[in-house]
Amino acid sequence: MAALKPILLVEDNPNDIELTLAALESSQLANQIVICRDGAEALDFIYRRGPHENRQLQDPAVVLLDLKLPKVDGLEVLEKVKGDPTTRGIPVVMLTSSREEMDVVRSYNLGVNAFVVKPVAFDEFFAAIKEIGVFWALLNEPPPHRGGWPSNG
Amino acid sequence: MNQRDQTTHGSIDLSLCDREPIHIVGSVQPHGFLFALDLPDLTIVQASANAPTTASVGERLEDGFPELAATAKRYLEGAADSDGALYLRTVTLGSGSTRQAYEVAAHRLDDLLVLEMEEAEDASVEAGLDALNPQLRAFVQRLHAAASVEDLCHLLAKDVRHITGFDRALVYRFDRDWHGTVLAEDGNGVLPSYLDLRFPASDIPAQARELYRRNRLRIIPDAAYAPVPIRPATTPAGKPLDLSQSVLRSVSPVHVEYMRNMGTMASMSISILVDGALWGLVSCHNQNPKRVPLQARNACDFLTQIFALQLAAKVRGEHAEQRIALGAVQSRLLGFMAEEDSFVDGLLNHPEDVLALVNASGAAVVTADRCRLLGATPTEREVRAIHDWLTARGAGEEVFSTEALAETFPPSAAFADRASGVLAVSVSKRFASHIIWFRPEVVRTVKWGGNPVKAAQPDPEGGPDRLHPRKSFEVWKETLKGRALPWSVPEIEAAKDLRASVLGIVLKRAEELAAMSEELQRSNKELEAFSYSVSHDLRAPFRHIVGYSNLLKNREGANLSEKGRHYVETIIEAALSAGTLVDNLLSFSQMGRHALNKNTGEMGALVEEVRRKVERDVAPGRTVRWEIGALGRVYADPFMLRLVIENLLSNALKYSRDRPEAVIEVGRLPPQDGEAVFYVRDNGVGFDMAYVDKLFGVFQRLHRVEDFEGTGIGLANVRRIVERHGGRAWAEGTLGKGATFTFTLPLREEAQ
Repeated sequence: MAALKPILLVEDNPNDIELTLAALESSQLANQIVICRDGAEALDFIYRRGPHENRQLQDPAVVLLDLKLPKVDGLEVLEKVKGDPTTRGIPVVMLTSSREEMDVVRSYNLGVNAFVVKPVAFDEFFAAIKEIGVFWALLNEPPPHRGGWPSNG
Repeated sequence: MNQRDQTTHGSIDLSLCDREPIHIVGSVQPHGFLFALDLPDLTIVQASANAPTTASVGERLEDGFPELAATAKRYLEGAADSDGALYLRTVTLGSGSTRQAYEVAAHRLDDLLVLEMEEAEDASVEAGLDALNPQLRAFVQRLHAAASVEDLCHLLAKDVRHITGFDRALVYRFDRDWHGTVLAEDGNGVLPSYLDLRFPASDIPAQARELYRRNRLRIIPDAAYAPVPIRPATTPAGKPLDLSQSVLRSVSPVHVEYMRNMGTMASMSISILVDGALWGLVSCHNQNPKRVPLQARNACDFLTQIFALQLAAKVRGEHAEQRIALGAVQSRLLGFMAEEDSFVDGLLNHPEDVLALVNASGAAVVTADRCRLLGATPTEREVRAIHDWLTARGAGEEVFSTEALAETFPPSAAFADRASGVLAVSVSKRFASHIIWFRPEVVRTVKWGGNPVKAAQPDPEGGPDRLHPRKSFEVWKETLKGRALPWSVPEIEAAKDLRASVLGIVLKRAEELAAMSEELQRSNKELEAFSYSVSHDLRAPFRHIVGYSNLLKNREGANLSEKGRHYVETIIEAALSAGTLVDNLLSFSQMGRHALNKNTGEMGALVEEVRRKVERDVAPGRTVRWEIGALGRVYADPFMLRLVIENLLSNALKYSRDRPEAVIEVGRLPPQDGEAVFYVRDNGVGFDMAYVDKLFGVFQRLHRVEDFEGTGIGLANVRRIVERHGGRAWAEGTLGKGATFTFTLPLREEAQ
């Protein structure tokens, strides 16, 4: 593997972006953090389309995906990514405010790797983001590509 | 009787009597004679052997007895539609030494006319109905004054004996099994008293009772009579002559023997019919042979009919009175049931009225999963057995009543002292449920006029066994067990009416529920949408406030004054508690929407698991003594029940944290009203019972936040979960001494 894979943060709320970035920052990860503001943009990034057409051919280390998003919502993004054999290997963590059981159940049915309800308490939130980042970006070993091109090749 | 039959069956059953064809005996008693006449020309087709030879079979009546023929024609011209023999007139036949007065009675039989001439004493001919008039009038007046059925019977016995001059007159009443009891007696002491004695149903067999119903008055002037045959034996249609309506009809040899055994040579009986059914008999006896003039017999028949009318009126009056009394109870109960959410509560909260409705000493309301008992009843297990039995037998049975349950449901003999009488109504077909009332056993001693379990005796002359009536009229005492006082007609009706009311209420509720259910589904959807948006949209800003405040504190803290840092601290705390509140509120709403997934499990294991979990939050250095009793098994949703236990145990820990030694007790009480009862007790700060109602409310708190943290949602969740299981939750406490939280869960058989 070449450079560190980027972490894709899909989040529409600027406050959440800022707070999540602050948390990731404090975990001192070297990965690039790409921010997409809605589901459509996230899919463009993953599939190297539109504005992301020319990006480096590399899957994100992890997608931190909010549930409620403009245009294409988080569950739709999840469904697309996990339903496609070429992108199925990308770890997706739902990072959301929702405590709705239905969302949790649906996410797991769609193949989400983890579902995290953002804690209200700051320390817990920081700890959670940090752990997610460290685990998925550093510790987790992604599945090897079996022949052919990397995703979207 | 068929001899071959009897010899092949070595033992003889008294029900053989039931098959004796007593209405076609083919003979008459000798105190009169009979002609059967063909219509319209009144040809004699049958005659009793003792008929005067002036006219014989095959001749016209007019040829031998012009006087009788004229009377018969007049009878035929009149509206001869009355059921039974009609007295026509007195005629005198013959002359000189053969001169004899006869009372002529006639009745129609298909296309025959039956004419009976009964010998009369000349003197009695004069004593017309007029002579008896004052007597009848006095009787009617006294009847009106009689207070009870027994008084009425005494009057009847007395007057019938007075009119007829028999040695003894009895008024005899049939019970539901056709055994008879002597209710009243009047006598001159010549014959023994039978008052209060009970006679077995076999004494008056079924076909005799039917005859008694059709022909109200029968007389045997001399039991030693020799029967006079009717010749020829059959009518022109080839059948034996039906003597049901005959006044001279010869009786069964068995009956004559019965009379001789009783020491009586003459007898008369009059049927008491109430609303067309045989209610009882007036039975008169004389030691020596005795004739009773027709006029006197008619007077007795008349008296008896008036008596029967009065009796029916009295019974109806008593029923009406009872109906009014029960109606008042019923309308009260109806009101109570309408007030409550469930009709069952309306009944359970007013046990006196439930029992008074049918004058029962105990009652039970039994549904598939619950059995509630009121008053004196068998145990829950026994009541459930009755319920199951009723459910199994009752295809389309709305009401069931018995005064002797063990006769149809033998296992109930074990608790006859509480439930010999049972009256039950089914209040739902789909979910087998009953309201059952109980009456205790009333042990009675009955004096039988001879052993009712009589056996046939072999013929002393060594012939084939022949049916003999019993010879002994010695009093034979029997103790009747397993019987309660019978349920009266108004009581059974009251139970039926209550059933109708309950069904009405339940049906109305079902309609309301159906209407509400749509509304509920809609608002449930709205609630879901609402909580979803709260979950997302309200929670996020609180997170942001907490997050930014923390960033401010951590990264810009140095630039803030002491006061500024305090403000930031406060913002963090406030936003944090608001966020926690939102989280709790959401979990509370999820609790209500979450479907219950009940199954049976060990309560002790669950409590132990939760105890280990909550103990992790106990501050180091605290002493906590747990006293956990035997908790048994329970039928509940384990996920939900865990939340209940967790709330109660963490509360107990929280509010006892100032105690040098916290004592937390978890236990189970004996079941009550079909519910398992659990409690959690602590020796903590307790609470003032004045505020007990606020304890379980959402966001209701009895302590200041500085003293005890919390949002006030825990106990609301406890109550909500317990109530969704069909149980109840409540608390008791003393300020400074501790608190006890109790909750119940409905018992299920398999959880016991």
